[in-house]
Amino acid sequence: MKKILVGHWETAAFVIILIGAKAFLGYPRMVTDWGLTAGWLVVLFSGLLSIVFWLFIAGVLARFPGKPLTEITELTFGPFLGLGINIIVFLYLLFSTSNVLRLFSEASTLTVLTETPVNILALLYLLAAWLAAYYGIEAIFRCSYFSFPLISIGVVLVLLLLYPYFDLKMLFPLMGSGMGPVLMSSLWGTSAFSEVVLLTYLVRYFSFNPQRLKNVGVFSISYIMFFFIVIVMVYQMVLPYPTGSETLVPFYQLSRSIFLGHYFQRVEAFFVIFWTFTAFLQIATGLLVGAIILQDTFKLPFYRPLLPALTLLTFTTAFLPEDLIQAIKLEGEIRMVYGWIIAFILPIFVSLVALILRKGEDKVNGSQN
Amino acid sequence: MKLLQQLGKNIAKILIFNGSKEREHFIITDNNNSSQGKETNKEKETGSSNGDGDSKYTGNDKNKVKGTGGKKRKNGRCQIKKPVRVAKSSLSVKEQELKNIEEEIKQKNFDFEELSVNSSLEVNKRYLEIIYSLPKNKDIIIREFYIALEKPLKAFVLFIDGLSNADIINNSILKPLMVLLDEGVKIKHGEVAEYIKEHLLPGHDVKLLNKYRQLLDFVNYGNTAIFIEGSSQCLVVETKGWERRSVGKPEVEQVILGPHEAFNETLRSNTGLIRKALRNENLITEMLKIGSRNRIDVAIMYLEDLANPQLVEEVKKRISSIKTDYVGVAGVLEQFIEDSPFMFSPQILTTERPDRVVSFLVEGHVSIIVDGGPQVLIVPATLFSLMHSAEDYYLRLPYGNFLRVLRIFALFISILTPAAYVSIVNYHQEMIPTELLLSIAASRATVPFPTIFEIFAMEFAFELIREAGVRVPGVIGNTIGIVGALILGQAAVQAGIVSPILIIVIAITGLASFAIPNFSISFGFRGIRFIFTILAAFFGILGISGGLFVLLLSMVNMKSFGVPFLAPVSPKTTTGPDVILRGPVWSMERRVDYLKPLDTRRQPKISRGWLKNPRQGGKK
Repeated sequence: MKKILVGHWETAAFVIILIGAKAFLGYPRMVTDWGLTAGWLVVLFSGLLSIVFWLFIAGVLARFPGKPLTEITELTFGPFLGLGINIIVFLYLLFSTSNVLRLFSEASTLTVLTETPVNILALLYLLAAWLAAYYGIEAIFRCSYFSFPLISIGVVLVLLLLYPYFDLKMLFPLMGSGMGPVLMSSLWGTSAFSEVVLLTYLVRYFSFNPQRLKNVGVFSISYIMFFFIVIVMVYQMVLPYPTGSETLVPFYQLSRSIFLGHYFQRVEAFFVIFWTFTAFLQIATGLLVGAIILQDTFKLPFYRPLLPALTLLTFTTAFLPEDLIQAIKLEGEIRMVYGWIIAFILPIFVSLVALILRKGEDKVNGSQN
Repeated sequence: MKLLQQLGKNIAKILIFNGSKEREHFIITDNNNSSQGKETNKEKETGSSNGDGDSKYTGNDKNKVKGTGGKKRKNGRCQIKKPVRVAKSSLSVKEQELKNIEEEIKQKNFDFEELSVNSSLEVNKRYLEIIYSLPKNKDIIIREFYIALEKPLKAFVLFIDGLSNADIINNSILKPLMVLLDEGVKIKHGEVAEYIKEHLLPGHDVKLLNKYRQLLDFVNYGNTAIFIEGSSQCLVVETKGWERRSVGKPEVEQVILGPHEAFNETLRSNTGLIRKALRNENLITEMLKIGSRNRIDVAIMYLEDLANPQLVEEVKKRISSIKTDYVGVAGVLEQFIEDSPFMFSPQILTTERPDRVVSFLVEGHVSIIVDGGPQVLIVPATLFSLMHSAEDYYLRLPYGNFLRVLRIFALFISILTPAAYVSIVNYHQEMIPTELLLSIAASRATVPFPTIFEIFAMEFAFELIREAGVRVPGVIGNTIGIVGALILGQAAVQAGIVSPILIIVIAITGLASFAIPNFSISFGFRGIRFIFTILAAFFGILGISGGLFVLLLSMVNMKSFGVPFLAPVSPKTTTGPDVILRGPVWSMERRVDYLKPLDTRRQPKISRGWLKNPRQGGKK
């Protein structure tokens, strides 16, 4: 079988888009809610904390060269407990992907296709994502890399075109709700960067070494952290706090505010292309990584046969929340607040146990020798 | 009675060993070690068989005498010890052999690959009569004559009328052999063919062949074969001379600045045009044959010291593995060797310009030339190479880049304009400025159809005009486009079938699709435009976004001879400043990395030796 390998630039673009997708959903609103006018500080601290988490996880990965986290978990905890942990990770990913699917479908209904049923839009997202997952990791990573500059240009354009509405005073008081709440929300704010951990399940597809993987993660988090800070600052400078904490689709709201004279008004639909593109990529990644985790956990030869079932599962799970408000609550009050525990703490726990027991590590090194 | 007398004579000849003719008979028949008869008589009647001693049986007849009962090899010559008794038969061995071949041909299981030239002229003639269905086949000419040796030797030439040059045959083959030959020349019979090749035929390309398959390939391609009595080798002389189109101007890839030569339908002219433009001894031209019925020549050209050997091997492997009866032109071969036949985009670049081929060869690509077509294939191809045109490089940097930017816009316009129109009019009316919106609404007020119907009707009409413009011959063909566009568009608007703004949308889209330099990829984008329009009709801008996502996915997944279609952008590889825009020619120091060429550097870091300022790329 052909060996699929992706380079570090493609990987960085992939992670940036994956994390960045939430900027188009409710992330700026959530951060504004958590930190008030100091929302950008929440982003900064949570980004830095995520880098620390990542460095630890990547450091342990380097001790198991070529082994994905699923395998390290099994090596450390044995087949039964390992399988249980992997299934928890899979379920979290399924929940996360389903909610993203629901939120993007709802956002599309709210913004551009007001009369189209939300399940039809979810189907459109899912079909494209299924195709992407079928094509595989190489296609998704390269697609990310190719679209990365275009999406970046789109985002920067929106932010720049809002310049006439910038009001620096809106960022004061600088510390927002105070240092305590800012630091606390920064901890669970790390959930926003948790997608970087998905790389640990894909290590066998990388053409570069673990040291570079570590750098790729750090670079990606730093890059997107900078973008998030700028987006949140612009959001807060354009929309006052009370409005900013109520907007359902913040980035769309920002692009709606653009006015470039009589002939360039209401161009927000144009920018929909960029954020829907990230939605396709994120849902496709969720399907693909979910399938790969199942493949690795159950030692299956292929992941593609899992995709139809996984697609159906994602679709049905996406419609478990009764309405948009419930979906937003799930995202803001559960996934964003507790997601970091599964995304960062669980791998760190696995890594710690692996380091202490040195179980799998010996085995791997032994087998290499 | 006559038959009985003839039979009696033949029996007498078998029983009474008599001279060199009998020897010849034994040699000819030893493969089957059986009968004789009529053939010997035939030879006697035509006078083709003559007793010229042992020399006649040397050389290529060695294999035939080996191991026979009545003969023994000594000092490379065949000596007959005693006659061999042969069975009585009504047919000679040759005739039996011919009859067998005839039967096999009728049963369609005859293998020409193994058939060798016979030393008997009559047998060869019969073979050819069977092979070429003579005399039914009127343009296959067999001209018999005598070579003016001390003892005239019978021979014949085989050529195809209309394919071979009669002047060359008359002056360079028949005249030297029939008239100009010094009568005092003595040649051993076994060496006649060799002697003629080396001393008598002034042709620049003369070959000695002994397999029918090989010589038929040459004859079918306009060469002339010379069969000589007693020689089991055949001379093939290059006499191609069919009517051909001269080197003309490019029809599809026209430029204002730059060469105006284009390939034609003759392989050798095309390889010559490339060689003329690329004077390099490392330029290799390898020939392959494909097609069981037309056995067409395919040339593979590459620079040996530059092209990746794996790429060259892959090209040869793909072409030589093709098993089909007919490959007429490059377009058919392209479909046989491309990686993803069902994708919208070509993965092989087709060009009619020799300068374009050369520019790719010096990058490390491989070109494939199919005899019979004016297009040359270049592999591998990427999206970016398909979007470049020859003129980009001939113009100064700003102008060349301006054209490229224009073309990128053209690409997006040709794919997305109708879809964007449908999407905006149906779902995102707020994007249209109020005055324009009112104007569109007013113009659409009289149109009873939905926008999607309007779009499809006009797109269909546009494609129809384009297709008719190509198919309709001559003057009408040129005018039909204008007539169609003016009358049909105007009439459609007046009849209230479509709105005026739609005519503008379709016209811009059509123009943009013409601005894409590669005909094949332009075709692909024309096709996917319809898909985008349907998606926009159902899902508005979200449908367009989904379509772009799937389009990008399919492109990143495509490969051309192992090279990703979006290289060097995705995957990112090292390359010179010539991907979307191009840098100055002096900054293009490296070749594209994805080809893995044997020499990665095109020019030194400082290519402009006359500059003194290092910051401008001059000497330090």
